[in-house]
Amino acid sequence: MIKICLSLLGVLFGWVAIGQAQNSYSTQNGAVSFRSEAPLELIKASSKKLQGILDISQNTFAFRLEPASFEGFNGALQKEHFNENFLETSRYRFASFSGKIIENIDWKQPGTQVVRAKGKLSLHGVEQERIIKCIVEIADGKIKVGSNFTILLEEHAILVPRVVRQKIASEINVEIEAILQKQAQ
Amino acid sequence: MKCLPYIVLMCLGTACMAQKPFFKQHDLGESYQNAKVKLMYEDPRAAMWFGTTDGLFLYDGIDFQPFIKNDSSSNHVRAVYRDSKKRLWVGYEDGSICHFNKHKLVPWTLGKNISNVPIIGFAEDKSGQVWMATYGDGVYFFDEKELHHIGQQEGLPSNDIYTMLVDSAGTVWIGTDGGLSKIKLSDGKPVLTTFTKQDGLPDDIVQAIQPNGDGRLWVGTYEGGVCLFDPVKKTMEFPLAGQDLGNVKCLELFNGMDLWIGTTGNGVWRYSMQLGKLSHIPNFSKAKVTDLHRDIEGNIWVLTNSQGIYSANRQFDFVETPFENVQALLSDRENNLWIGTIEGLFSQRLETNGNKGFQAHLANEILNTVCLEEDDFGNIWIGTLGNGLYVYQPKTGASRHISINEGLVNGNILSMDGRNNHIWLATLAGATEIEFGADILNGGKLGIRHLDQADGLGTNFLYKVFIDSKNSVWFGTDSKGISVFENGHLKNFPTASHLHDDGGTEPDTRLHAVYSITEDAKGHIWLSTDREGIFEFNGSDFQHLTVKEGIRNLEITGLATDANGHIIIVHPSGLDVLTPGSKHLIYYGEEVGIQKFDPNLNAVSTDRFGNVWVAGKNTFIKYSALKEDLEIHPRTLLNNVAVFLEPVDFEKDKTFSHDQNNLVFSYMGLWYTDPQIVKYKYRLSNYDLDWIESKDRRATYSNLPPGDYTFEVTSTENDAWSDEPIVAYSFKIKKPFWLQWWFIAIILPAVFGLFYWYQKNRDRRVQLVNLLEKDKVESQLAALKAQINPHFLFNSFNTLITVIEENPKLAVEYVENLSDFYRKIMLFRDKEIISIREELELVENFAFLLEKRYGNNFQISINLKNLSGYIVPFTLQILVENAVKHNIISKSKPLVVDISTEYKDYITVTNNLQLKLTQEKSTHFGLQSLTVRYEMLGKRKVKIEDNGQVFKVSVPIIY
Repeated sequence: MIKICLSLLGVLFGWVAIGQAQNSYSTQNGAVSFRSEAPLELIKASSKKLQGILDISQNTFAFRLEPASFEGFNGALQKEHFNENFLETSRYRFASFSGKIIENIDWKQPGTQVVRAKGKLSLHGVEQERIIKCIVEIADGKIKVGSNFTILLEEHAILVPRVVRQKIASEINVEIEAILQKQAQ
Repeated sequence: MKCLPYIVLMCLGTACMAQKPFFKQHDLGESYQNAKVKLMYEDPRAAMWFGTTDGLFLYDGIDFQPFIKNDSSSNHVRAVYRDSKKRLWVGYEDGSICHFNKHKLVPWTLGKNISNVPIIGFAEDKSGQVWMATYGDGVYFFDEKELHHIGQQEGLPSNDIYTMLVDSAGTVWIGTDGGLSKIKLSDGKPVLTTFTKQDGLPDDIVQAIQPNGDGRLWVGTYEGGVCLFDPVKKTMEFPLAGQDLGNVKCLELFNGMDLWIGTTGNGVWRYSMQLGKLSHIPNFSKAKVTDLHRDIEGNIWVLTNSQGIYSANRQFDFVETPFENVQALLSDRENNLWIGTIEGLFSQRLETNGNKGFQAHLANEILNTVCLEEDDFGNIWIGTLGNGLYVYQPKTGASRHISINEGLVNGNILSMDGRNNHIWLATLAGATEIEFGADILNGGKLGIRHLDQADGLGTNFLYKVFIDSKNSVWFGTDSKGISVFENGHLKNFPTASHLHDDGGTEPDTRLHAVYSITEDAKGHIWLSTDREGIFEFNGSDFQHLTVKEGIRNLEITGLATDANGHIIIVHPSGLDVLTPGSKHLIYYGEEVGIQKFDPNLNAVSTDRFGNVWVAGKNTFIKYSALKEDLEIHPRTLLNNVAVFLEPVDFEKDKTFSHDQNNLVFSYMGLWYTDPQIVKYKYRLSNYDLDWIESKDRRATYSNLPPGDYTFEVTSTENDAWSDEPIVAYSFKIKKPFWLQWWFIAIILPAVFGLFYWYQKNRDRRVQLVNLLEKDKVESQLAALKAQINPHFLFNSFNTLITVIEENPKLAVEYVENLSDFYRKIMLFRDKEIISIREELELVENFAFLLEKRYGNNFQISINLKNLSGYIVPFTLQILVENAVKHNIISKSKPLVVDISTEYKDYITVTNNLQLKLTQEKSTHFGLQSLTVRYEMLGKRKVKIEDNGQVFKVSVPIIY
């Protein structure tokens, strides 16, 4: 499975269209947003630069995002702080999630389904094995993927000093929405 | 109005009314604070292993002993298992596997690692094959020769294994993202069957499997909770349907009755099958549970991702209350707990999720409640101190006050017990029986009977009344022991025939104030006394149990009998549970969460399930007797034997050489209920005279003499040393080879031979020394004799006479030489050796004398190249003298003596041989003596050459 993921990542990041393209759906502009709801502050930010690829013949997927592309925050200083201190985006450029969908899906059948995607979520250089629930909407030539999940900062070695814990939640809510287009043959 | 503060308290209290087990935390220790505990495993010997992100730990309840790999591979333990061949398997995050051997982790490979994915579980099937589950590479099994792989290609739904179980039938069960899979081996080939949602599983992600003991399996899933799966009928049951348990990570089951469920993010659930009741354990609200474990004593262990290791005794639950001083406790048939205090009467509904808090009753009455009882009509009887008796119906709120006015003899009621339509009261003025009917609260008639000293009661001051299973009524008195009312007759115990230690007629004074009475399953009556412990009465005899029998604290305030027929002894140190037959005691105190408390006499109650409730300060303790076959002794394990601090494989090595005689035995007495209380007793038979009692978990023996030994150790948790199993390790220290019979058989003749040889040699040496001494003396004597020889003197003087007149100067020189000669003889006489120079001076003196006498007829020449070295005194002088003595010296035949170096390291004295015809009388001693002396001094011999013309004697130079 790891090999499949790696090859998928290769496809994704190298942008090389290979033979299996007719089974692949991809996006370059998926939306990701997060919310940190701490007692003293609500922080929100979003990005529209989620890249992703889905291979429906293997039920495998790979997504990635540059956390530096997040916009929003409560001020520019906060964004800088987010990039430099917490996510260290210059050192860990990408966050990614790649793996396999647990459920068997009939991709030819249009409609909405809830599936669980299992894979490795990498953030701040720390990988976590996660099962993330997604809503998949199959339509002609495209697949819409939406998900809501949480990330525990501690699990990704993102250390928040005690002083700022009232301003940054230890549990971050993440929302994703992406429309993957069938790749040209 | 006086209840108002309580009502306020009650409102505050409601939030924490829930029954809570007491979880004790176990700490890995300072050095491993950041380690996350992932799993625990109790091996078949009941030793507890913990797998953490930082290594493997062995725990004896007190210390965690770390076992860390020193190589670069991962120390993140994911699986531990001990197989029937006594191998401990340890699996790691990086796919490496170790065996634990001689107290060390030894890598296990079959030439290669299985894989580089985590090893998440081990199991053993019926034929002894060890199964290994991985996360990412399916499962493997090892047939002692090679590994066989079963993965996705063989039909496994996924290579990511969450859990693996081998059931009692030897079937391997596997949980993956694709359901529950069953593997059976048929001629070594795996046959797989997978059950999924389509077969009724609540979710395909199966993370936990727990056998129910009857062939069925509890299956824990990611989203669908748990279900009970019957593999034979292929059916699923959902006893917990509709409950959102969360992501079920692990399951643990006690005796098929008590299921514990650990979740990721939703803490711990407990499902009691007997009561059909699911409860969330409040101690772990939203915890991520990594493992659950039940130990052999019935404790539950919970491992969480963030906080660590916890254990609780499932027999105890605690309820926090606002009541500091509870005087009476009663658990009624409706599952309410009634609480009597100096302030009044309160109740609390138990086992409900919606807590209503404590409710006050009869708030307008003065109720200094000291005892409570429930009758068959559901009325609560309230005994007060000073204000008589109240009867109260909680449903209607109706009550009736029975006071002295109504016929009571005394308003101080210390205890009550009822049966059918009778209730007995123990008061400060004797016993009262009340007969009543269903109409008691409607002014029904009461039949009151009274018993006191006048009727034969020991004393009127009664603490306790108890009705036994034969309807006999027992009274505990203040100073006169116990009385029983049986078939209309009163009897007092002890009588003169009971308990008399001295054979006298006085009753035993040890049994005087009786505080509490209960009955066991055999109908024996058990009493607790004020200071003298407990008595068991079997109908004819009393048996006394006190500190010596293991009773921990003699301030006993209550006795109760639990659902298992055990006697519960309540005292300020906690609860002791006594098995009536074996008299085995188990202590429960601070370790299970019972803080020091001061229970009142009536603050103990047994509910309809046989649970015992005890009220302490601001807490109610609930003791539930477990219907489980639990271990009641500490398990004593010998876990290491070290010779000179180096661990040995003591399962195999039982013979040591004579110099491996410094042994350290490490043992553990595993008693997780209260590890600190464990004491040990050990003995090395054939060495120690008696058992040694100790708190140490190690015994050291140094300088053990050769012999056969057995090290025996046992442990106790209650100081009783009654029937605890003994662990023994027999070993032998061999005699050193020089004490072995074969060696002695060989060496003994050799020693005799050696001794004989030595003895012989010594004799010879002594003889030699003696001889040397004798020769020395003799040669000195000979030299002296020769020199003081009158002939020599006479000749010398004659020569002197001729010289004196002719040449007075020469005469003086002559006398000087003569005296020099004698002086030197005196000087050298005692010496062993002298230098050649000294000897030559002597010879020159002598030669001068001879030359003056013989003129040219005697010629001596000394040609020595090397004058260093030593020589036996007088050697040369004797040789020269010999030449003079034995040879003709005349003008025609002059005697020529030559002293020269002819051989290396020798001095040779040569003279021409012209023997006198008539030999001077001689002892022939001179030359012979010289030869012998040289022989003794050195290795080289004196050489004598005689060719008829020349006579040569060569003497060795001594360096």
